[in-house]
Amino acid sequence: MSDLLLDVRGLRAGYDRAVVIHDLDLAVEPAKTAVVIGPNGHGKTTMLRAIAGLLQPWAGEVTLDGRRVDGEPAERIAGLGVVHVMQGDGLFAGMTVEENLLMGSFLGSSWRGRREALRRVYQALPLVEEKRAQKARTLSGGERRLVGLGRGMMRPARLMLIDEPSLGLAPVAIEAVYAALADLRKESEAAVLLIEENFTHVGGIADVVHVLEAGAIIRSGSYAELSTDETIVQTYLGALPEAGR
Amino acid sequence: MIGGLGSLTAGRWLLIGLGVLIAAVFPLVYTNPYYMTIIVTAEIILILNISWNFILGMAGVWNFGQLAIYALGAYGSGYIMLHYTSVPVAIAIVLGGVLSAGISFLLAIPTLRLFGIYTSLLTFSFAQVVQYTALNDPHLGFSDEGLTGGSFGYPAVPGLFPDYGQEAYLRAYYWVCLGVIIASCFAVAWLRQSHLGYALRSARDAPAYTAARGVDLRAARIAAFVLSGFLAGVAGALYLSFNQSFTTSQMGLTPMSIDVTMLVIGGLGTVTGPIIGTAIVTAIQTKLINYPGWTLTVLGAALLVIVIFVPGGFVGLFSRVNRRISTWVSEGDEPPPGDPEPDQRLVA
Amino acid sequence: MTDVVAILANGFIYGSIYGLVAIGMTLIYGTLRILDMSQGSMVMAGSYVGWWALAEHGVNALVALVLAFIVTFILGTATELVSVQPLINRAKEVDLEMVTFITTFAVAILITNLALQHFGPFQKNVPVIVSGHVELVKGVTISYHELTMAGISIVLMGSLGLFLARTRWGLAVRAVAQDLDAARSMGVPVTRLYPLTMGLASALAGVGGVFLGGLYFASPTAGDQPLLFALIVVVLGGLGSLTGTIYAAYLVGLIQAFTEVRYGTTWTLTILYAAILAILLVRPYGLKGSPSEARL
Repeated sequence: MSDLLLDVRGLRAGYDRAVVIHDLDLAVEPAKTAVVIGPNGHGKTTMLRAIAGLLQPWAGEVTLDGRRVDGEPAERIAGLGVVHVMQGDGLFAGMTVEENLLMGSFLGSSWRGRREALRRVYQALPLVEEKRAQKARTLSGGERRLVGLGRGMMRPARLMLIDEPSLGLAPVAIEAVYAALADLRKESEAAVLLIEENFTHVGGIADVVHVLEAGAIIRSGSYAELSTDETIVQTYLGALPEAGR
Repeated sequence: MIGGLGSLTAGRWLLIGLGVLIAAVFPLVYTNPYYMTIIVTAEIILILNISWNFILGMAGVWNFGQLAIYALGAYGSGYIMLHYTSVPVAIAIVLGGVLSAGISFLLAIPTLRLFGIYTSLLTFSFAQVVQYTALNDPHLGFSDEGLTGGSFGYPAVPGLFPDYGQEAYLRAYYWVCLGVIIASCFAVAWLRQSHLGYALRSARDAPAYTAARGVDLRAARIAAFVLSGFLAGVAGALYLSFNQSFTTSQMGLTPMSIDVTMLVIGGLGTVTGPIIGTAIVTAIQTKLINYPGWTLTVLGAALLVIVIFVPGGFVGLFSRVNRRISTWVSEGDEPPPGDPEPDQRLVA
Repeated sequence: MTDVVAILANGFIYGSIYGLVAIGMTLIYGTLRILDMSQGSMVMAGSYVGWWALAEHGVNALVALVLAFIVTFILGTATELVSVQPLINRAKEVDLEMVTFITTFAVAILITNLALQHFGPFQKNVPVIVSGHVELVKGVTISYHELTMAGISIVLMGSLGLFLARTRWGLAVRAVAQDLDAARSMGVPVTRLYPLTMGLASALAGVGGVFLGGLYFASPTAGDQPLLFALIVVVLGGLGSLTGTIYAAYLVGLIQAFTEVRYGTTWTLTILYAAILAILLVRPYGLKGSPSEARL
């Protein structure tokens, strides 16, 4: 098959009559982590939703491991091994943490398989295990984000789409989330497509960074390259990132 | 309250004028009493539908109590006609409208706080309660048959033209109703373009935005209720006066289904929709008069089909066809590729 | 004090059956966000099945109930596929709530008239499920039929609750109700879930119909009042809230029992309406509803 896990070409999508992304090309290699950064409102979430199938693209191709998936509904794309961790967690507020996690493995095979996945996630994220019986709406932002991540880890994935995991969180919480992400990368063979507004934290996990502006990708490169590029740094950070992170 | 019929082109005025002329002359040429009765009754229902279209379609208020308002107009005017015989019948009819308007006003108030679906429950239950109370009425007693005559229907009233012969009677009512229809259609079209009309329509489509723009939604909604209530009451009074009876079977789910079908088939929220819808459904009903059970089945199926496939009703269909033709004609202005079709809401 | 016992007993019985019929509507609103106006006709259909099975063919009561469940399940699923699904696919263009109000209403009209055509306009007597009465206190009797009705209603409502709380599909239904996009991202096949949910809801109403038929009779318009009561209960309890629906059902049942015992049946609806009015004025979203609260 192709050596790209995810191949997006000429993607064009939006809402009602507003075109948000146009002519977007993006590729993600198997088991690698691609990070897309860019200002708000320029199409990062739209892109992810179009890939995940929650939004029908108007033009372009999305190919997952050789198979065309553009136009397929989200539930079918999920069945192909795509896990979408939505922006702002998308947790089921009325359910407990454990119920949320179990929903993550809805497509999982058996009751035993689901229990097994639960055990694994609790081991990886002890904070989540602590809160297992609490209703999701009673958790703090950082805790919810971890639960959302944990829920994404409940079934085997070929591609994980992660939408702004640091959104609205305090620095301590962001550290925890990215630590979990780093662990995830080590454990899982999934390719990851992660979007963030700025890239202060992504250095530890990004294999390649793309910049999305005004609905299309304008720059790509390694974290090292982009973090030393003056224009990028000034637009997205206002200062140089700390060394190594 | 600036209103206007400015959107009507000369061509449209001509069509309207022609239509009115034909309609006015019609009873002079056509005199079959059986069909004339059906036509006049249809006119009255049309008046009711115009009023209902205004509040449901244009204002987007989930008012499912319009039939009760209609009935109350009948009962109110009937009461005056029976017990205050010095009052001219025409005035009694207007007063029936006023009563309905007043009750609509009262009904409007609780709906101000409610959102969408809850209003439907409130108005729907209101309608049911009016119906049941009217049905059980003989115990309310103002005269022998109570206020509403219960399930026997209202006693005979002096109508508008008590001494006319049959043909003249039918014609007279035909013209009176026609007059009311024309007046209310123009009123609706005018209101549509007025401050009130815009307020109502944007409140229907985007309530938060409208409120943020400082539009007093509550006043607009109350106005919508009162105006449509008045018209519905007049319709009820006319019905009672024309048919010399009014039974509780005029309210209830069955007539409501029929009226909703008329509104939807014609095009909910448009000015001419009720006319087309009422005409079509009345035609179907008349055709099927010998097969009693089938009317509702056909109408129910038609309602379903239309709502799903042609949500704008016939008027919507025309305007869609119109749009397609004009885009085809103006080839150069294609919408950008990939953009979705302009939306065809159920409510225009 | 026999009044109090009568009110409580009847209130309990009414509340239970209203709960059964209304809970389906809540289930539908929670997942599909629509008011299903065909629920009343499902009750009516259930009554006819009851009549056909019990009176015409003398089958066992349990068989009649199961049959009603199956028939109305199929009817409900078909209703969704015909009158709701095509519109959901176009949810952007149309005001789904209002349009489905009309389309499900149209289905109700169709079903009512088909019943009229097929069975004729006259009422049919549906035999009771269990015969006999028991005297609670001097002057207050309830029939075993009513008791069974209440009992089965409670069992069914409880089962629904368990289904939603404990099973994989039940969890999926709640997920769809709480966050549609997230549920889809977990792979929940919503296009299959919607018709099945509506089928299930209709089936519950259908079973209720067998009991109500025994209490009253089967006729083409037998669904009108249950629809009205279901609407009252559902909206009063707060759209989409299961617990709210159950509270509201018993509240409505009690109010009805109270008015019947004190003032006779003529005034029940008027008083109920006044009660609704009062409650909606104070709590515009019903007892337990709120616009953005997670549901089910």
